[in-house]
Amino acid sequence: MNTPLKSSKPIPLTALVFIGWLFLMTFIPFLIILGMSFLERTPLGTISFHLSFNNYLRSFQYIYIKVLLKTVWLALVATLSCLAIGFPVAYYLARSRGWLKQLGLVLLFIPFWTNFILRVYGLVSLLGNHGLINQLLLEWGLIKTPLEILYTRTGVYLGLLYNYLPFLVVPIFSSLEKLDPALREAGFDLGANRIQVFWKVVVPNIKEGVFVGSLFVFIPMLGEYVIPDLLGGAKEAFLGNVMVSQFFVMQDWPFGSAIAGMLSLLLLITLWIQTRWSRIGGFRNGIDNAKS
Amino acid sequence: MPLELSGLTKTYSKDGSGFKLWPVDLTIETGEFFCLLGPSGCGKTTVLRLIGGFESPSGGKITLNQRDITRLPPHKRNLHTVFQRYALFPHLSIFENVAFSLRLKKLGKNEVQDRVLEALKLVQIEDLKNRQTTQISGGQAQRVALARALVNRPEVLLLDEPLSALDPELRIKMREELKALCKKVGLTFIMVTHDQEEALQLSDRMAVMRDGQCLQVGTPKTIYEDPIDSFVARFIGQVNEITGELVGDAPEVLALQSALGTFKVKKNGHALTKKLNLVLRPEKMRLLRQRSQLQENLIEGSICDLTYLGSRTEYTVKVKDATFKVFEQELERLKKRKLNVGDNVYLTWRTEDAILLNISNS
Repeated sequence: MNTPLKSSKPIPLTALVFIGWLFLMTFIPFLIILGMSFLERTPLGTISFHLSFNNYLRSFQYIYIKVLLKTVWLALVATLSCLAIGFPVAYYLARSRGWLKQLGLVLLFIPFWTNFILRVYGLVSLLGNHGLINQLLLEWGLIKTPLEILYTRTGVYLGLLYNYLPFLVVPIFSSLEKLDPALREAGFDLGANRIQVFWKVVVPNIKEGVFVGSLFVFIPMLGEYVIPDLLGGAKEAFLGNVMVSQFFVMQDWPFGSAIAGMLSLLLLITLWIQTRWSRIGGFRNGIDNAKS
Repeated sequence: MPLELSGLTKTYSKDGSGFKLWPVDLTIETGEFFCLLGPSGCGKTTVLRLIGGFESPSGGKITLNQRDITRLPPHKRNLHTVFQRYALFPHLSIFENVAFSLRLKKLGKNEVQDRVLEALKLVQIEDLKNRQTTQISGGQAQRVALARALVNRPEVLLLDEPLSALDPELRIKMREELKALCKKVGLTFIMVTHDQEEALQLSDRMAVMRDGQCLQVGTPKTIYEDPIDSFVARFIGQVNEITGELVGDAPEVLALQSALGTFKVKKNGHALTKKLNLVLRPEKMRLLRQRSQLQENLIEGSICDLTYLGSRTEYTVKVKDATFKVFEQELERLKKRKLNVGDNVYLTWRTEDAILLNISNS
C-alpha cells in the first residue's frame, strides 16, 4: 500500500521539453532565491557571500508575521467568498442547457481577453471616488458622500473576487458536468428531498472539484501583489508587496529572498494539506483492495 | 393491486424534438413481469419515467393499487427504479448504498443492518458489503442496484434497460435471475428493453411500442404468433414478407395474388386493407427438392447461402428479386437429403402458419 508509484516507462520527448523548461525557468531561479536568502546584504546594497540565518530570524519579527497572517486571512476570506458566489454560478451553468450554457461560459471568460493589469486599472477607475459607481450613486441620490472602496480592504476583496472567480467556477463546473444525472434521480427515487440530494449525493461526489477550485484561487492569492498594491493602498499590503519592496525599494535582495522562502513554505504546507486530504479516500480503497 | 395507466400522454415541446407519447392505456397486474419493448425513441423510457415520477405527464392518470399517484414525487409512489447504468453512489460503500433510503427514514441501527443484509442476501452479494463501488464488476453493480431498490419494499420495481451494460454471457445469466427474483419477491417488475429476445424470455406480458404509440400488448406467444401488424412481426423475430392483393371473397380461406404467385391465406381480424403483407416465420417454412402435388403454397427458388448452426440450418433462398430465410431443424428424416448452395428448391408452408397483416411502413 505504501509502495511509491514507480514507472519504468521512458519519459516521452515532448514531456522532456516541458520538464526542461520547468527546470530552467522555475527550479533554477528558485534555487538561486533560496541560496540568496542565506546570504547578507552589504550597506551598499550588494550581496556579500556570507552564510547567515539572519534574514530568516528577521522575518519572524512581529511586523512580518502580522503581514503573513493577514495575507493568509485575506486569501482565505476571499477564497470562501469566491466559493459562496462561484458555487451557485457553477451549479447553474452545469444544469442549464444549450445556448444558455455556452453564453454563460463565454461571459465568464470574456474579461480574460483583457490583460490582468488592465483589468485591475479598470477596477481602479470604476471604484474610485470619482469613479462610475460612486458618480451614479451620487447622481441617483442614494448616497451623500462617495463610498470609500478604493484603497480599502473592500477594494482588495472586490479585486480578488473579480479576477479569481472563473478559476474556481471552472473546476466545480466540470465536476458537476461529470456527475451522472441519474445519481440525483436515484437520490430522489430513494426518498431524499432536494436539500438531502444536494448534501448527500451531489456534494460528496464533487468535493474534489470544490477543493481543487479553492486551491486554484487560494494559492495564487497568497502570492498576490498587483491587486493589493493598486486597489488596497499601502495599508493593505500582502506578503508579496513586502517582498517586492525589499527587492526594488530597500535593495535588500537576501531579505526579500527570505520572505520568498517563507511564502514558498506556506504554499508547500497548503499543498501538503491538500494531498493528505485527498489521499484519505484512496487510502481506504487501498486497504479494501488488500483485503480482497 | 394493479398499476393502471389511463390515457397517459406526454408532449415535449420545449426541447424541440417534437416527440409525442400518444395516450397509453395499460393495466399491469401485481407480480407480473411486464416489458416495454421497442426501438430507441419509441417512448418506452418515457413511459417508465412517467411511472417513476421523473417526468410529469401532459395528460392522463396513473393509479397504483387504486391510489392516484400521477402528481406524486418519485419517493412517495412506493415504487423504485433500477437505472440503466445503475447510478450507484460512488462515495458510499455497497452497504451504505443499499442503506441510503433506510438512513433517510432514520431507522434504528439494528433495523438498517438487518434489512440491508437481507436485501444483499436476496441478490447473493452479502460478502461484498464493505466494498467500494469501484471494486465490483458490472454484474455485481447490477445486484447492488437491485438490492438498493428492493430494500425499501416497494410495490413495483422499474428497470430501465438493466442488462444492456453487461456483456452477452452475463446478460443471459442475469435474465434468468431477474425472472426468478420477480417470482420470489412477488413484486411487479416493469422493464424497458430494446432486446426482443430479452422481452420474450422475461415477460409475462409485454407491450410493443413505436413512435410514441403502444401498438400491441400481450403475452410473448401472442405477440410472436399473432402480431397486430407487420412492424410488430418484424420487430419480434425474423420474417419473410410477400406483398399482394386479396382476390375472391370466400368466407374463410382467401387468395392473395402477388408477383410470386397466388397463395391461400386465412382471414384474421388484423388485415383490413386491400393491399396486404403475407408474413411467414423462417422456422415455419420448409424446403422441398421436388415439386409436390400435396402442397398448396409453393415458390420455386435457389439456395444462395446456408449456415449450419447445429440445432438448425439457416438457408437463404433467392426467388426472383426477393430473398427468403428458412430455418430447418436437423431432423433424422432430413439427414439423407443434402442441400447445397446453388440447388434449386421449392419453398412451402402451411396455410395456417401464414399471417395476413396490414402493411406498415419502415
